Amino acid sequence: MRRRTLLQLGIGSAVALAAIGGGIALLLPALDGDGRLTASGRAVMRGVARAVLDGVLPVDPGARDSALAAHLRRLDDTLGAFPSATRGELSQLLSLLATAPGRLALAGLRPSWDMADVAAMQQALQDMRSSTLSVRQQAYHALRDLTNAAWFADPGAWPALGYDGPVTV
Amino acid sequence: MSRFPDPIRAGLARGWHVLGGPHGPLPAQIECDVAIVGSGAGAGITAELLSRADLRVVIVEEGPLKSSTDFHQRESDAYPTLYQESAARKTADKAINILQGRCVGGSTTVNWTSSFRTPAPTLTYWRERFGLADMSEQTLAPWFEQAERRLGIERWLMPPNENNDLLRRGATRLQIATGEIQRNVRACWNLGSCGMGCPTNAKQSMLVTTIPAALEAGAQLLVQTRAQRLEHAQGHITGLQCVAVRNDGQPDAGGATRIVARHYVVAGGAINSPALLLRSALPDPHQRLGRRTFLHPVVISAAVFEQPVEGWKGAPQTLYSDHFLQTQPIDGPIGYKLEAPPLHPVIFTSTLPGFGRAQTELLAQFPNTQALLALLRDGFHEQSPGGRVSLRDDGSPLLDYPLNDFVMAGARRALLSMAEIQFAAGARTVLPVHEMAQAYTSWPQARAAIAALPMKPLLTRVVSAHVMGGCGMAGDPQRGVVRPDGRHWQIDNLSVHDGSLFPTSVGANPQLSIYGIVNRLATQLAHALAGREVALA
Repeated sequence: MRRRTLLQLGIGSAVALAAIGGGIALLLPALDGDGRLTASGRAVMRGVARAVLDGVLPVDPGARDSALAAHLRRLDDTLGAFPSATRGELSQLLSLLATAPGRLALAGLRPSWDMADVAAMQQALQDMRSSTLSVRQQAYHALRDLTNAAWFADPGAWPALGYDGPVTV
Repeated sequence: MSRFPDPIRAGLARGWHVLGGPHGPLPAQIECDVAIVGSGAGAGITAELLSRADLRVVIVEEGPLKSSTDFHQRESDAYPTLYQESAARKTADKAINILQGRCVGGSTTVNWTSSFRTPAPTLTYWRERFGLADMSEQTLAPWFEQAERRLGIERWLMPPNENNDLLRRGATRLQIATGEIQRNVRACWNLGSCGMGCPTNAKQSMLVTTIPAALEAGAQLLVQTRAQRLEHAQGHITGLQCVAVRNDGQPDAGGATRIVARHYVVAGGAINSPALLLRSALPDPHQRLGRRTFLHPVVISAAVFEQPVEGWKGAPQTLYSDHFLQTQPIDGPIGYKLEAPPLHPVIFTSTLPGFGRAQTELLAQFPNTQALLALLRDGFHEQSPGGRVSLRDDGSPLLDYPLNDFVMAGARRALLSMAEIQFAAGARTVLPVHEMAQAYTSWPQARAAIAALPMKPLLTRVVSAHVMGGCGMAGDPQRGVVRPDGRHWQIDNLSVHDGSLFPTSVGANPQLSIYGIVNRLATQLAHALAGREVALA
């Protein structure tokens, strides 16, 4: 009930995201001072990648693990170039999603990102995407867009798109 | 490694005065005749003209100096280094993603080369509603002609790529007129990588034209340096405080300078220019500053064809349609301009909706995908007041742009128009870029579905690459921040020379509007400050 009240207060407001996430972020920052993912941030973004990139990630477990590791390194580069205000918001979002109550409130996901199966995480993403709460929609777009941008920036991802890369000049 | 000569590296080797970042520490204080904030469309034109008048010019650019040797046609290189906020700048509610340059040359280094003179109906509106009596096709024509000569703006004679030609073919079947887009290029290779910095120096951006001309004439360029605050007293600017910044925009410890000039020109682009004036607490007696910021909010429609489209190949945006601007009054329901944008992996996959297997199937059709975009002409109706720039606690700018029902009704009509054109061109499926849309297989199906889509922010994908307004010009101080000559209404030695001048959106890709109008303002400023007649071309 208390959590529900908090979220209702937060409708349409990025400030609410900061308010919900702020206290938790003090304990478990999801990004370090250089904008790189901490262990908790990595766990969230690794889970999101398994859901968003389902279909393009390698099937072989070993190959998939190394692809995800490379993806997280590219995410670090992406996040490191963002201005501090953006990094602060993303750190709060990921910090919140790394905790059990935050994950349930924002994503509607019970198991942790490490333990959840792809279908459960995809359902959570779909619920955020179609939510009437802007704060959940904003979170969905941030997670999905970051994931796609970091994955498809890599030439290794281009064959799946049929993209032959830039013309050599 | 590009085998093209790099005019920037050659200029640096010849001893151009460039400091900041890897080019050397900032001195504690700099004195000059004119300090120019920014190095994009308005700043570049101003820098060349004032330098030609033998004024001592200092250009302050927040981004890095990158040039053809650095341009590898890779989104992963380009977005973090050449764009504001890594090409992920967003409005306050995160519903609009904004593309703006942040490098020497500003947005002109990364834009898609589309060049239109300011449309006549827009100028008429500015005369009638903002007291800008001297803004007409006739009075501006010589200023546009000069800019066009200086920047190689001409008809593009190569055949359009399939992405653009599908716009023409579909529109023609519906008896909708299309036209050719002029481009600011010389000896263009037709690569299609304009958005990542031109690797062949064909694009006549400020990076390879006016900024080098100013540097050759002795101007000084400070890069990776942010204009933090204008000092002022009794209606007069007394100095400009600047700080060195890292690539992520954070202050670089120890680097700072104070520039003292006779005159100051702010041309950091809409959003950043009003933010500098806000940080400086300049007088704003009529509360105009940062208000009426416009975006040409863009909605997108993606269609899959039987044949390959390969929207990443060939010059972007070579054809357009103004049908939906011209068939309705400018101050009625919002009109829109149609164009066909370039498609590259990061921008495509982060703009199209969905995830997982559905996304994989969608993306597998990338080579056969054609995209249209609609630029909504905002700012001409009382229900389209645009957005407002304010400051975050750290002084960085934040644009609040509410996507209200008036604007979103236009977005729905635009999605309908684009789908109809794409089906008329032979599309197998059309996907309006909206979180609740599907790939539709016929025009009647798409028409019914789009009519029922909830046109809400964060469900409808909205982007922008044209930020305008926020320091609007007007014939009286009640309606604007600056005078018709670009000078600030309350500060005597401060001018604004960029897209933030515009009192509404332009209704066309804005670069040539900035070049032409600033050409007039800067030529007049050169005369006022130096007593010299100079001309851009």
